[in-house]
Amino acid sequence: MSRVRLAVLITLSLAAIAVPLTAASGASSGQAKGKTITIGISLSLSGDFSDSGKAAMRGYQLWRDVVNAHGGLLGNQVKLKILDDTSSPTQVVTNYQTLITKDKVAFVFGPFSTLLTAPAATVANRYHYAFIEPAGGGPAVFGEKLHNVFFTQPAPIIDSADVFAHYILSLPKSKRPKTAAYPSLDDPFASPIADRVRTLLQKAGIKTVYKTIYPSETTDLTPIVSKYAAKKPDLVVGGTQNDDAYAQVKAMVQLKFSPKFLFLSNGPNDPAEFPGKVGQKNVNGIFSTGDWFPDSKSPGNKAFVKAYLKKYGGGSGSIDPTSAEAFATGQVLQLAVAKTHSLDNGKIISALHKGNWPTVEGVLHWNSIGEPQGSDLLVEWVHHKLYPVYPKSIALHAPTAPKPPWGKG
Amino acid sequence: MHLVVQACILGILTGGVYALMASGLTLVFGVMRVINVAQGALVILSAYLSWALFMHFQIDPFLSVLIVAPLMFALGVSVQLVFIRSLRSEQAEELSLLITWALALGIEGILGAVYETTYRATNTTYANSSWTVFGYHVSVVRAYAFALSVVILVLLYLLLARTRFGRSVRATVQNPASALLLGVNADRVRAVAFGIGVSTAAAAGAVYGVLYPFNPGSHYDLISRLLSIVVLGGLGSVAGAVAAALLMGVVEAIVAVEISPVWSSFSYFVVLVVILLLRPQGFFGARQRTL
Repeated sequence: MSRVRLAVLITLSLAAIAVPLTAASGASSGQAKGKTITIGISLSLSGDFSDSGKAAMRGYQLWRDVVNAHGGLLGNQVKLKILDDTSSPTQVVTNYQTLITKDKVAFVFGPFSTLLTAPAATVANRYHYAFIEPAGGGPAVFGEKLHNVFFTQPAPIIDSADVFAHYILSLPKSKRPKTAAYPSLDDPFASPIADRVRTLLQKAGIKTVYKTIYPSETTDLTPIVSKYAAKKPDLVVGGTQNDDAYAQVKAMVQLKFSPKFLFLSNGPNDPAEFPGKVGQKNVNGIFSTGDWFPDSKSPGNKAFVKAYLKKYGGGSGSIDPTSAEAFATGQVLQLAVAKTHSLDNGKIISALHKGNWPTVEGVLHWNSIGEPQGSDLLVEWVHHKLYPVYPKSIALHAPTAPKPPWGKG
Repeated sequence: MHLVVQACILGILTGGVYALMASGLTLVFGVMRVINVAQGALVILSAYLSWALFMHFQIDPFLSVLIVAPLMFALGVSVQLVFIRSLRSEQAEELSLLITWALALGIEGILGAVYETTYRATNTTYANSSWTVFGYHVSVVRAYAFALSVVILVLLYLLLARTRFGRSVRATVQNPASALLLGVNADRVRAVAFGIGVSTAAAAGAVYGVLYPFNPGSHYDLISRLLSIVVLGGLGSVAGAVAAALLMGVVEAIVAVEISPVWSSFSYFVVLVVILLLRPQGFFGARQRTL
């Protein structure tokens, strides 16, 4: 009996050693024309991030259809193997382990959100897979300093509002705000964004009259808004996620306080949801930031929007930016495969560290740890529609300031 | 001073809504010693039903209470009859915690599957309106919500204090064995009381959906607040829940304005701990069985 057990143990140990080796060899499987190659992805198809997970899935699947219609990758048809991680950072690790070691997929793409991307990227790195990913733009991902990560948005999340500071500083001094308030959510993707804007604007002489960080369980923002409204700042910069952004706007309307400039890092950049949450008539003049918009002039965007609407229906305003980010992830791989003429992950990683990569998210390029080196777009609600307004090169409408009173514009 | 008064107005109006949500929880505990940790999820379920009626049939959320409340009452009675009634053992309190927690997770899962996780809000035409009274802003929705809370709490009080059913409830709360001997149908009283407790979630949910964006996971924050209100008020006391909810609303609003929003929830819990140290049974705990 003990011999049998010993044999089982040895076999299992050998298998444990052999699996990463075979997987690693799978990761650099060279090229083989005319076959089907599988790309493994873990997505949040249930749980807290399921809406975004499904949006990412639509983007990936659309890219698969488009690439296959154009002959696939080096003549190989692309198949996606998508596993549900239930929005769990533990399950996502298991899923990528399975995809790489058991399913031996040729490539992997990233999941949704930094929370899941950070552990997933580590798994991919262990097996020497390129980790092109659409939604992990937070410090937790780049803090790992992995060489295989490539975030397919124009800028890391915490730099996303720099473009607003640049816009304000581009105004003549007489038209700039003199005072500013910075109410921010206690969230790694909210308060650091507002902090960066504050640093830039303070340096330029715009006085901070109020700043606070409110905890995520704060459902009622009226006391905070009444506090900063009493100080009458010209500018309000909110480091926000969606629901607190809606709550701030609602409280401002109720307290009849309308600053000359209002920037909220998240919330107003969702054209499908924002008007319904705060009232269509209250959106005008509000600034936000974003990585992609339906009317964006980025390379291939028109074709992407057309193909998306053909496949999924609806209007262009209903396309979740996450779908575009996922599509761009596929585009990056497609370009890298074409450039290296190889399906080898190592060669693709090396190639992506050099040059510029045109996608629907703009022309992307990364530093050594996968942080994109571009800039997000500044967007503003003008005449009840969301437009990219700055920088000028991508603007579809000139920025309008000061913000009209609530219900006007 | 202006800000403090403004904060007090806001705190009282907000507290009124929380009082409504907590009253069902404390009533259910008083009658059957069941801590219904699904109350938060039931409020969110009601918020979704009210939102759906508003979106698809343009029914005002305050009117939709008349439709949602009977549905929630039926749901409450069914849950009590199917899951809670059979718990007669000494561990009934602990087991009911598990059952109602499972119910909360079940509701969250179903809502997630049906409505996805996007935040929703019932945005009526008057959702962002406010009156200016002596220079103070009073949100129209909050004022309506407060008024609705007062009406329902008064109805609840009248039901418990002035009706035969109310006497049965109070008798069951005070001494279940004697009530049974005097001919009170304890099973029926428990089922109906649970149904009433759950149906208060209908009104609370309609109001919650107008005041705050919500998604299926919103019940976690809600239930922790509701439990703390019920504990501070004295377990089983509706009047205590009202007092505690108003205190919570005012303390949080004033601290958010005068000190920092970071300390607003914390300060309420400091008040909670201090009061419980001085009066472990809560505000009305000594009279908890008399409502």
